[in-house]
Amino acid sequence: MFIPAILPGRRPLPEALLHLLQATRPGFAPHGTLRFGDPRVAACLPEGGLTRGGLHAIGAPATDAGSGTAAAGFAACLLAGFSSPQPVFWITPWPDLHAAGLPGWGFDPGRLLFVHTDDDTATLAAMEIVLRGGAAAAALGEVGALPELPARRLQLACRRHGVTGFVLQRPSRWHVPPRQEAAAVATRWEVAPAPSAAEHREPGPARWRVRLQLARGGHEGAWIMEAAAQDAAFPLRVVAELADPAAAPERRRLAG
Amino acid sequence: MWLPSWPIQRLRRSGAVSPASPAATVATAGGARRLQALCPQAAAAGLWPGQTLAEARALCPALAICPADPEADGAALGRLAHWCERFTPLAAADPPEGLWLDITGCAELFGGEAGLAGTLAALLSRDGLSCQVAVAGTAGAAWALARAGKTAGTNLPSGQEAEALAALPVALLRLDARSVSGLRALGVRRIGELARLERAALTARFGAGPRLRLDQALGNAAEAIAWPHPPAPWAERLAFAEPIGTEADLSRVLALLAKRLGERLAAARLGGVAFTATFFRVDDARPTLGIGAALPLAEPERIAALLRLRLEGLDPGFGVEAVLLEATATAPLAQPQLGLPGIVPSDPALPERALAAVVDELANRLGTARLWRPAPRASHVPERAVRHLPPLAPSPPWSGAAGERPLRLLARPEPIEATAPLPDQPPLQFRWRGGLHRVRAASGPERIAAEWWQPSAAAAGRPEADLLRDYYRVEDSEGNRFWVFRAGLDPATARWFLHGLFP
Repeated sequence: MFIPAILPGRRPLPEALLHLLQATRPGFAPHGTLRFGDPRVAACLPEGGLTRGGLHAIGAPATDAGSGTAAAGFAACLLAGFSSPQPVFWITPWPDLHAAGLPGWGFDPGRLLFVHTDDDTATLAAMEIVLRGGAAAAALGEVGALPELPARRLQLACRRHGVTGFVLQRPSRWHVPPRQEAAAVATRWEVAPAPSAAEHREPGPARWRVRLQLARGGHEGAWIMEAAAQDAAFPLRVVAELADPAAAPERRRLAG
Repeated sequence: MWLPSWPIQRLRRSGAVSPASPAATVATAGGARRLQALCPQAAAAGLWPGQTLAEARALCPALAICPADPEADGAALGRLAHWCERFTPLAAADPPEGLWLDITGCAELFGGEAGLAGTLAALLSRDGLSCQVAVAGTAGAAWALARAGKTAGTNLPSGQEAEALAALPVALLRLDARSVSGLRALGVRRIGELARLERAALTARFGAGPRLRLDQALGNAAEAIAWPHPPAPWAERLAFAEPIGTEADLSRVLALLAKRLGERLAAARLGGVAFTATFFRVDDARPTLGIGAALPLAEPERIAALLRLRLEGLDPGFGVEAVLLEATATAPLAQPQLGLPGIVPSDPALPERALAAVVDELANRLGTARLWRPAPRASHVPERAVRHLPPLAPSPPWSGAAGERPLRLLARPEPIEATAPLPDQPPLQFRWRGGLHRVRAASGPERIAAEWWQPSAAAAGRPEADLLRDYYRVEDSEGNRFWVFRAGLDPATARWFLHGLFP
């Protein structure tokens, strides 16, 4: 089937065609994408970037000593790419986000609207309100676990209103992750800290071991990424591609 | 309404004083303990307010005494005024011993003014409270008649104040003691005599007070009473023939009230910023729901939707007889300007209204304090560096010049066991939350001194908060980055803490 290339700035597509495209092309992105600026990452993602108007889950390995701080930094770098005047909602039951630490990752805390919830359920419900309201550039919710049903609801709300949602899954020493992670997301990432290029015993720019575990319409990948300099065009820089043995046998599998 | 010797009545009701014995309250004034309020039995025994306690004890050995507590008396009077709101929405306490009730237009519901006064007196006496009620066209006349009347239920038609008050003593005009004694020295004892005095001479001798009080009592001057619950002009009420209780019914009623109120508000170009729905239950309880709006709100659907969010927590009991929806605070409504496609761009405030809708829904679900925008504060102490702004405040400017800060800041620094080779060096390794971290690279120190002009946090069990802190950014062999500090300069007593996490 021939599908026309969707370029930003064109006339909006008719509703029926949108539905057809969504049904037939899993990675279809009517609201555009967020670029990483590296061909190695673009090759793994549908349309060459992170789908705007989609739900993205970012997790951390259960053994992470920093309780998912690396994943939060990765999310902050992604949020920095949303250059719209609308606010970004950060919804979390943990009140330990330090706004003064955000400018270092290219994200202006003046655009941040902080929502303090009680638990996972309240966080996911608040996220859905924000996504449905359509008044935010993006919404990020911090949860312990993302069950399948809320993930599906959030993904639908994202797609319908063109707002990008991020779910930050925070590892806990007491929480055993479910065997089956929610599959209704556009992408799922796992971010772990990696030793930086320390020179003269001074820590260098932060480095993370980033694994793309699932991408609708794309395929898996793993890289070592580094936070780029403040004035760089893209907030993240790929240092090396990892030959991830776990991902290698089913390398070209489409996770639709 | 007059409640004679209210402090004693209150104490009798609370059980602190037995109803049989004569009782008085005592306050220390001028170095002596003197009587303040007396019960009728004590007054009959020859005691008078202001008498010293020793003298009173000698006259009446059975006297039960209690320390005077004007605050508690006032609070109890306020509660009684709230109870009186069953007769009229305008009921106020008149300390020390009275209540005001504005029964304009309310008396018909209780069988006329005499019927209302009788019902009120009967209900209070059933509860063991004695009171004298007077109804008059002016507040001053009602005050005087309630205290002068020998029987409960004086009812004075409007326009007859001058004749009715003429024979009463001038003290019943709410004058201060100095004016009363001064007037008595002039031979003026009755209100009628006071009214005959020349206005200019009276004002020159006693100030504006006596003449003003007289004018107020006769209805020639206005008098304002501070009602605790002034009626909101923006209210809609719906009463039902049969009590209702299901959530669906209540939700429909709220939608109807919101529609009526919203249309009235929109017609006046106003929007509500705070709404209260009161549910009058059959068992006299009055649960309320309160909602707030970030921007003035007049759209019925949104008012009803926000109220519906709160309806889950409402207990309708045996049924609800009436529902009252009030806009307790209003503000001018900004009319959005709709754009003409291709000619005039849309009002830039439109996305802001969408944001306000989201903020309202979240704030009414979670609480207003749960939503905030972070703004920088001019402080180097990390835990004080961020302040909270309301969610719809304009974006605060962040300069980001404050050095490198962690992304996660622990609510309070956690002590760590660190091994540092030299006093001024970062640790080589440390143990935090049970895990051992070998430091691979470190940068610092960044020295942050405590702000001595701020209230000390040491009292709250955080001795490290008041010490000089040397912060280091350390990276362990896994790549985890931490923000640790050494509190204190003395190597013997310095301790290490972990304060934040870097991505």
